[in-house]
Parts: sequence; structure tokens; C-alpha cells
Amino acid sequence: MRFLVIVAGLIFVSLPLQAHDVVLISGGPALRSFEKYKKASHDKYWGNFIDSALTRAEELKKDLKPGDEIVWLVFRPSYTSRAAEDQQDFLKIIEERGGKVGLTPTYFDNKSQLFALLRRDGSKEKPRISRLEYFGHSNKKCWMFDYSNRVDGGALEPLVVHVDDLEKITGSSFTSNAECVSYGCHSGEEFSQRWRMIVGRPMVGAVGKTDYSEGGMPKLSNGKEGSWVY
Amino acid sequence: MGLLIPLFLWVAIPAVLFAPPLPLRSLSSPTESNPVTPTPAPAQEVRESEEEEEIRKPVEEKVVRATLPAAHTPAKHGETDGESWVAQRTMVEDYCGWGWIKKDKESWRQARWVALEGTAGICPLPHTFLPRPEDDKNYQYRFYGTFAPYRAYEPQADVWVDVFILKGFMSLGPAKEEIRRPPPAQASSGVNRFAERGANFR
Repeated sequence: MRFLVIVAGLIFVSLPLQAHDVVLISGGPALRSFEKYKKASHDKYWGNFIDSALTRAEELKKDLKPGDEIVWLVFRPSYTSRAAEDQQDFLKIIEERGGKVGLTPTYFDNKSQLFALLRRDGSKEKPRISRLEYFGHSNKKCWMFDYSNRVDGGALEPLVVHVDDLEKITGSSFTSNAECVSYGCHSGEEFSQRWRMIVGRPMVGAVGKTDYSEGGMPKLSNGKEGSWVY
Repeated sequence: MGLLIPLFLWVAIPAVLFAPPLPLRSLSSPTESNPVTPTPAPAQEVRESEEEEEIRKPVEEKVVRATLPAAHTPAKHGETDGESWVAQRTMVEDYCGWGWIKKDKESWRQARWVALEGTAGICPLPHTFLPRPEDDKNYQYRFYGTFAPYRAYEPQADVWVDVFILKGFMSLGPAKEEIRRPPPAQASSGVNRFAERGANFR
């Protein structure tokens, strides 16, 4: 009987683990026509949030468990408008760059679509999220997907995930040990704490600004004593 | 029962013996796989081909403006019929928005601070006709368009501001005086109403 229990246990352990999704979110760039003459000018390079997410995807692929997938969500409208300004087909470039690391972007056009994409039930079609990371503009209160793109120096309400919107993201969409990171500016000053309280998963965020200007993964800006916090 | 046990073993033992190895949680060091404070790897660590590096270099700025042959705001542009507002361009450092807008009969004390959104293919923002955004500071316009059903978020002051969707404008020239009234500054959200309740599991 004991042998049977051991064998049954071994079978249970050897069963394929349930697959989960690793979600990377890329916000959009500002327009240079708004930002060009500002002292603190954002997004001289259009692809800050694309390249950083893809760099991270390459890192994460090394530790990916069998069956797990990286889902790359890209805020489309800002790239479309920046493409018109720069006269380049950025969506095509995004898809080509994603293809080089084996990723296809899933576009979203507003926060409602993002919430729908993050709604998971653990089924094969909608596996739970084991990791979520955000690359884009933010402050302590929100993620701003279209910062300085449709209006100068701000972001439109349907394109902002404000702390008051977080109740639309359910904790049950995530695994119990899910890890979340926001690589936007100032997220660690309030957004991370609200995320933990409302979504129920810890989120690492920056105290201070993050800097994407050197390419690849963002760094905490020099000059101020920034840090990463939960 | 006597038959069941051999049958079970006949199925179970191959499943154990031929099962794929369990995946390793991480091949990297603990600090890399589960960082308390993420330390993003420098971009240089990811070696790329020369072609890729070339692609990823920031391109020289090519800002396309709706420029006229002469750098001045047109007297009239877009759809200039229907309801109108008087608007005065006001620039506040590090603050989202275009300026103040009011109806003809209202005083500037009753004016609303707005973020201005152009209409693609119909009317861009007036300052895009000028070399620099600040070149029409304290200029007045007659605006045609509507208030948007959504607001804009001002990240420096943490406030929501009204959005005006511009369909057309007429240039009214420089204002007699600057509007010195500060733009709105109320917080975008109140106290944390989730502070005393559990996480959002449902």
C-alpha cells in the first residue's frame, strides 16, 4: 500500500505543470511636436518602451517554465501617431523586432481593452498571469499610455490606468506567487502599494524617475536618491 | 482489487520512468531570478548584431509640422461655424493644458482651463503653425469645437482637466493682458478607500 502511495505521488508530481502567462506591457511614446522644446523633453527615441520590453523578454525566456508563454501587450495609438509624425511605419518595425525574439505584439487601444486582456480564469485559453511588467510613462498615481501624445503634457482619461481603476483588475487573474514590476517613473511612491492592496499581489516600482535613454532596460535616474520598492 | 493493483502499476511505472525531467526554477542566481530590488541588466550585456544596433539607434528628429510658407498662425483654419468660445493661450511650466477658454459673455474669471486636442485632417493645434509652441503665448483665438466626454490627466499636479476638441479657429491676435490665475490643483483621487478592505479577489 505504501508503495502505491509513493507511486501515485510520483505520478502526480510528474504531471505537466499548469501553464501561465508572463505579461509585458509597452506604453506609447510622446509626440516630439509637443516635447521637442521642453526642458525635460521625453521620448527623443520612439522605441524606448519597445526595446526595453524585448530586452526583458529575452532575459525572461531563459527562465520560462515549459508551457508558459510571454504575452506582449503594446499600446497601439501612440505608435500610429508618432509614425505619422516621424514618417515611419513603427507598427511594422515593432512586429519585426518582436519576431526576432519570438514575440508577436498584442495591441490594445484603451484601458478597457487592457483590462479585458488581463482578465484570466486559469483555463487553457486564459491562463493565469505569473508575472506582469510595465514599461511606459507613469507617475505615482497612474500608468499613462499616451502621455503627451494626444494632449500636450498629459494623458487622456480612457488611456490612463489610475489607482482608482485598479479594482477592475482582479487578483484571481494572477497566480498566488505572481510578481509584478512597473518600470515607469514614481510607481513605487503610491501605485505599487495600491496595486498590492487592491489586486493583492506585490508590485515593485520606482521611487523617483526611471531613465530609458541608454537603451535596453530602464535605470533609476541619476542625481536623485531613487530606489525600487514594493 | 487483485487485478486493479497490477493494472495500476502497469500504467504508473512507465509514466514515472519516462516522465520528462522537472524544470529547474532558475538557472541564474537567486538575486536575478527573484529580485527584491530589480537591477536591470545594462543594455550592453545583450549583444546584438551590428545591423540590429544600427536599427535601434535613435533617429535624427524629423518633426513634421503643419507649417505654412511663412511662420505665422492663419487668420482662420478648419471648420469655423457653429458654437464658439474665446480662448487665450496660457503656458504654465510643467503643466498639462493649452490655456483658458470661455464663452463670449463670460469673464476670464469664469474661464475653464483646458487641454486641447486637435482633429486629425481638419484642424491641428494653432501653435503647430509656428516654429515653437510658446510662440503664440498670450494670443487669443475664437475656437470652434466641443468639449470631450473624457478628461485629461495632469501628472505634475495630479489633477483632471477638461479636454476641448478643436474643429476650427480664428486668430484674434495678442491679448491685452496675461491671465495670471493659476490652473486647477485639486487631487485626482481622495483618500485610499481600499485601505481598510481586503484585496480584490473575485
